[in-house]
Amino acid sequence: MEARHVIGMYHLSKRYEDRTVLTDVNLQVANGEFVFLVGPSGAGKSTLLRMIYMNESPTQGQVVVGSFVSSNMKRRQIPYLRRKIGVVFQDFKLLEDRDVFENVAIAMRVTGETNYEIKRRVMQVLTQVGLYHKRYDRPVKLSGGEQQRVAIARAVVNSPEILLADEPTGNLDPDVTAEILQLLFRINSSGTAVLMATHNHALVKNFGQRILHLRDGVIEEDRRVGPRRFSRERLDEISMTAGKSIWSDDGRADR
Amino acid sequence: MKLYQGLYLIKESFKTLGRHKGIMFLSIVIMSLTLLVLAVFLLVTDNVLSALERTRQELSVYAYIEEGLTQNDIEQQYKKLLAMKEVESIVFISKAEAMTEFEEEFGEGSAILESLESNPLPASFRIALKDGYKEQSNIRLFAEQVTAVSGIENVDYGKEFLDRFSLMARVFLYVDMILGFIVVLSSVFIISNTVRLTILSRQKSIEILKLVGATNRFITTPFVLEGAFQGGLASLVSLALLALIYLVVVKMLPDIAFLDVQTSVLYVLTCIVLGSLGSFAALRRFLRL
Ligand SMILES: Nc1ncnc2c1ncn2[C@@H]1O[C@H](COP(=O)(O)OP(=O)(O)OP(=O)(O)O)[C@@H](O)[C@H]1O
Ligand SMILES: [Mg+2]
Repeated sequence: MEARHVIGMYHLSKRYEDRTVLTDVNLQVANGEFVFLVGPSGAGKSTLLRMIYMNESPTQGQVVVGSFVSSNMKRRQIPYLRRKIGVVFQDFKLLEDRDVFENVAIAMRVTGETNYEIKRRVMQVLTQVGLYHKRYDRPVKLSGGEQQRVAIARAVVNSPEILLADEPTGNLDPDVTAEILQLLFRINSSGTAVLMATHNHALVKNFGQRILHLRDGVIEEDRRVGPRRFSRERLDEISMTAGKSIWSDDGRADR
Repeated sequence: MKLYQGLYLIKESFKTLGRHKGIMFLSIVIMSLTLLVLAVFLLVTDNVLSALERTRQELSVYAYIEEGLTQNDIEQQYKKLLAMKEVESIVFISKAEAMTEFEEEFGEGSAILESLESNPLPASFRIALKDGYKEQSNIRLFAEQVTAVSGIENVDYGKEFLDRFSLMARVFLYVDMILGFIVVLSSVFIISNTVRLTILSRQKSIEILKLVGATNRFITTPFVLEGAFQGGLASLVSLALLALIYLVVVKMLPDIAFLDVQTSVLYVLTCIVLGSLGSFAALRRFLRL
């Protein structure tokens, strides 16, 4: 478990003109680990995630993701990195002019999978996120929680080693938030490393998972009390207690 | 690119054309009008060039024969001239025929001629030149050679006219080439900007495609196919508009010909290429390829 890192950041800094957004970040995420990235608005959480899917390149230092190293990445290699990372956002980023099926399928279309394989896998993932029956609906017809589940389905359809989630529950009601969190935990329990950014410390502090505190571009605290990843037993425990102990009445984790 | 991807992208381009009917329609209208300028330019160029070519074809050199040569002398001259590499064919025009031609041109019983007792017009050879020898400089050289043949009094090839004609043709060609360059360049520019509208309206989709690991080729292919389709369709529309204009203009200038099939096909193909290039150019800027 401890041996392999799927994400590594080494003395990474990011500057935009005169603003320094990240300062000397050092960070490793182990294979299958679940990590919360917590910090106030403007701390640099989104920027840090963008470094991982290489939407931005470091001003100093480097990022290593699997076999990809930022310092000798060519522009045309970036798509191949992205296929190994699922990314989920606060605003879902779905294709409005296509149905749920196509929104998930697109992540496989770009890799050139056969139609048969695409159909098989997309149906499977849609079933897992509980949206099989809505596969022919357009995103506008779905609730926020459902749209986020489509986005998550798209993010995991290629079975990535890494799932990045940038404030995935930012637009959602508390009970839907709990659902989405549990879905992310479940994905983690099957072996995918998850890095989730949020400004809501109260929401995530009670799961015992690793929490990185980011403030003004500096990692101030890196703490973990429980195991690195969610086990099935732990998942059951959390869903049993949903709305009670770990989850407060308004869906926030609070104990 | 894998087969499944290729098929998907082709299907996708047509679906997209359907999904964004409004903006596609607008693009095709703008493109058609832009291409109409190109089509008019082609029609004018085509007609001027064929008029020039016709005039050039009709060029012939007249070699006037001295008075009082025998039949034998004239046959010798004929053979000598026919042996020259520039000569395509020769027609002998006797004094009598020259008279007839003159009369045909100026009306029978012309007062000037009737006042003369003998026929003042010399016999001549009308020499048609081979295709490669119809340039101004060649003709001048050829005329000198013909003058050197014994018994040829003088040679006439409409020097003044030819000089002016050659100059005109050359000026036209240069101006036409520059105009053509400008017209094509502005078409590409306008088409490329029209495509930018389409791209901006699909900016979010492009961003999502990049996020899930689409290569630039995957992203650009549908746009290029759509550009080709729009270019082709717009060229057909512009040809139809050109035909309407032609039907009006031909009433005033009946000698004008419409673009022939070959040129039209070439034109449509060019527009298809322009459409896809315009798309590609616009995307290149957008994706920072
Ligand atoms: N492209 C950019 N150019 C200049 N400054 C930028 C750019 N992107 C981000 N920043 C700045 O970097 C800082 C960190 O931004 P970032 O979006 O990473 O914060 P965040 O922690 O995700 O905040 P939030 O919780 O509001 O999403 C902000 O002050 C922002 O203004
Ligand atoms: Mg952010």
